Amino acid sequence: MGKLVCFVLLMVLMLPGYSRAEGEIGSIKTLKGKVFIVRGGTTLPAEEGAAVFQEDLLKTGYNGALGVILKDDTTLSLGPGSELSLKEYVFEPRENRFSVILRILKGTFVYMSGVIGKLAPDSIRLETPDSTIAVRGTRLMIKVDN
Amino acid sequence: MNGVVLMIVAGVVLIASNLQQKTQVILMPDINGQVGQAEVISDGGSQVLSEAGQMTLVKGRSATPSEVRVLNQKTVESMFSAALAVEPLPPEKFLLYFLPDSDQLTQESLELIPQVIASIDERKSSDVGIYGHTDRLGSEAYNLTLSIQRTLAVQAILANQGVRPDDMETASHGEGNPLIDTPDGVAEPRNRRVEVIVR
Repeated sequence: MGKLVCFVLLMVLMLPGYSRAEGEIGSIKTLKGKVFIVRGGTTLPAEEGAAVFQEDLLKTGYNGALGVILKDDTTLSLGPGSELSLKEYVFEPRENRFSVILRILKGTFVYMSGVIGKLAPDSIRLETPDSTIAVRGTRLMIKVDN
Repeated sequence: MNGVVLMIVAGVVLIASNLQQKTQVILMPDINGQVGQAEVISDGGSQVLSEAGQMTLVKGRSATPSEVRVLNQKTVESMFSAALAVEPLPPEKFLLYFLPDSDQLTQESLELIPQVIASIDERKSSDVGIYGHTDRLGSEAYNLTLSIQRTLAVQAILANQGVRPDDMETASHGEGNPLIDTPDGVAEPRNRRVEVIVR
């Protein structure tokens, strides 16, 4: 009986920590002023620590700014009057599946690639209205006037 | 009369060009001073950025990205000051080592704990990863248990210092994911570790 309990305990302890919501791809680390997440057609005020999900549109007001970290440690920082859509994000290193597609619609941004930038840089696409940006493990500043 | 008309036309053209759709991309070093690379691609061509401060400009999707210009640090910092002010700190990784066949930290690693706590406080982190490992001395099953004990030991130390359980994520890899590859049965102190990643 003791052995069985030990075994079950071992199995339970091996489970990955589940402190995160299902499907969460990152979270808001820093913010200032008016910032929003548009999700499924609804506009929500963004809060420090809030989860972000694939297809979220991050939006800052005229005096807002926002910093986000994604699961692979990619960081995205938005200045005022900016919009960025987390079009696609897949980070499954055990299955060797990676994808980062960000739609940068307008405003000012600092982008710092994370682990995906080292493991699978070809799976990263930063899209602006004028261009697609391919990256190799890097930090970029991007300004889009639209 | 003609002079006045000319001035008005010139003014309108200037304003229109400021409203024009365009993308500017500037390559910057990371926190360690390392510089990667980027390629900006439009329907009109592409431009590679490979050194810090290099900038290219694309005015519309059918345009060709401009030749590289180098912007100085001050210019870039003022263009992006609001975004830079909220740029999150990158995660910090700590390696904590253990005595052989034990879940007790070495003295040196014990002395790192205050730095781990400081890093968590600095980032107001609610996302601390704790990942336990062993070397390949001993059976796989034994080492799996040992790695779990190591993970739990570090988790307990951090909880004791005020880190909330909800803010910690744990995983234990046994002999797997070694830092240093060794044959089975070989002792390797550098693999007897817990990695703490503060996000």
